[in-house]
Amino acid sequence: MPRRANERSQNGAHPAATAGEKVGTMGRAETLDRGRSAPGAMDKPAVDLTVRLAGITLRNPVVTASGTYGFGQEYALYCPPEEIGAIIVKGLTVHPRLGNPVPRLAETPAGVLNAVGLENPGLEEFITSYLPALRKLPTQVIANISGFSVRDYAALAQALRSDSGLAALEVNISCPNVQHGGMQFGTDPARVEEVVAAVKASTDLPVIVKLSPNVTDIVTIAEAAAKGGADALSLINTLLGMSIDIGRRRPVLGNTFGGLSGPAVKPVAVRMVWQVSQAVDLPVIGMGGISTWQDAVEFLLAGAAAVGVGTANFVNPRAPSEIVQGVEEYCRSHGFQAVREIVGLAWRTRGI
Amino acid sequence: MLINALVTKHGDLGAPKAKLRYLVVQGPLAAEAKPGQFVHIRVSAAFDPLLRRPISIAAIDRARDEIMLCFRVQGRGTELLAQTKAGAMLSILGPLGNGFSLPRSGELVLVAGGIGAFPLYALAQAALAAEVPVRLLWGGENAEFLANAGLAHWRRLDLPLHLATLDGSLGRRGLVTEAWPEYLGLRGRGAGLEDQRVSVAACGPAGMLKDLSRRCGEAGIALEVSLEERMGCALGACLGCVCTLRGKDGSIRRAKVCSDGPVFQGQEVVWDAETGE
Repeated sequence: MPRRANERSQNGAHPAATAGEKVGTMGRAETLDRGRSAPGAMDKPAVDLTVRLAGITLRNPVVTASGTYGFGQEYALYCPPEEIGAIIVKGLTVHPRLGNPVPRLAETPAGVLNAVGLENPGLEEFITSYLPALRKLPTQVIANISGFSVRDYAALAQALRSDSGLAALEVNISCPNVQHGGMQFGTDPARVEEVVAAVKASTDLPVIVKLSPNVTDIVTIAEAAAKGGADALSLINTLLGMSIDIGRRRPVLGNTFGGLSGPAVKPVAVRMVWQVSQAVDLPVIGMGGISTWQDAVEFLLAGAAAVGVGTANFVNPRAPSEIVQGVEEYCRSHGFQAVREIVGLAWRTRGI
Repeated sequence: MLINALVTKHGDLGAPKAKLRYLVVQGPLAAEAKPGQFVHIRVSAAFDPLLRRPISIAAIDRARDEIMLCFRVQGRGTELLAQTKAGAMLSILGPLGNGFSLPRSGELVLVAGGIGAFPLYALAQAALAAEVPVRLLWGGENAEFLANAGLAHWRRLDLPLHLATLDGSLGRRGLVTEAWPEYLGLRGRGAGLEDQRVSVAACGPAGMLKDLSRRCGEAGIALEVSLEERMGCALGACLGCVCTLRGKDGSIRRAKVCSDGPVFQGQEVVWDAETGE
């Protein structure tokens, strides 16, 4: 992958800090501070960033989370697809959906609640109008599917097989913003297993299951997904929350409830990645509030094989690219030859 | 584009207590910017407040490579933005959105409600530069508000101004669409003459735009409206800032205010989704 600004390492600054200056401000002071331990950067030994996950190879461990990077064109100017490991596209349902009424967003401390409600063009329109362009993107493309019944999930999986050009399916059993289905599937282990098995039986693509944090025990749900045949897990989806406008004395969101994302949810996500990656023998795509390369490294250490960047895209459209650079530099400066060496290091004994 | 732009000027548009600010930034944005577009500004180096703030472009000076942004201080984000000093750098994403169009013939009538006048100022400048006849109908709470919201700047543009205030302290009394109906219908209807054709560009509260849309629809006048919504990415990816449009065949669809708009054909917008009725 292209690298830049490695000269900065000479005075102890991190490449990510250089990139950060270009766009302004994202975590600059923090980045400079933590970058001081970059002694090996001058020799620039190659770091293998590739990740093999659910049978597919990603050029690096950074993917864009569903619903935050559109269909691959919207961010092309700022964070080109060829700089990221994979794009997970906006959640797709069998039939087109108008989604929820506005307001759909409510800012909260270091976070944002969203209640988009799965607005999407529907399967048919996705295949005719979006898939041809997605197929041409110079990165792996993962479709995210949502259903209101097991039959919906199976129908989506049936229509999206390896001949679609997609790399994998991410099964959304955790959307908090629709009345029926979505999260309901993701909170009951028996339903999780049933949905995942139905998807697996209907497609030859690798199946990634996206888990909801809005459960009593995420490990039980992860185990159910594994039992259903999941090839990988992604976690976490948003945390259910709400916000009230004290002037109007009404909920801010048109849908009353919404899903919380952003830096505010990161510690919850790290904890769940830590638990699930140890309990279940499946690769985990860790996501939830990742905004800087330090956040990404934290998730990798917690056991994530790859990381998803979501809400941070809205704040810094270059975030995924900068995080790739930062993770690479972290590995290099700490003597790791491959990013996979640090996966789960916070709980694994080094060397095993 | 995503750039760090230099703040060259920043101050109060009128009396400080009105909390209406202007902010001038320099950079290659100006060469690209069109009236009706906006920029998405990072207001904090930290992650709280998290989201960028969309601010409409109020004036474009290509010769000096500057754009002027006007905004009302009304929350944590704009309060932080209001503390930015001249000489500071701001992370700006933009210019974004589609912008207003200039009519090829006839007169352009601008209709503003409150601080909806801000994006229309850039359009007025462009109309004058293109020698399109232009006038402004502007409604505000009272004379003091209009003075604090940049009335002196408008007067310097030397175009016909038609003001309305709720208390009658300046111009006609009442809502702008009711106070100046003669510019929003009668002259356009069946006039037949090219130079009497009118098109309208408007920005203001949803209720005003809804009323205007009805009036212009009845009179057969082309209307462009600039909409406002809470935004996330501002690039069309997150679907946070949608509005609802009705096609000619009656079908309903969503459009993204940030990337399909913020300017829409008034007759297309389903206003009840906007006004919450």
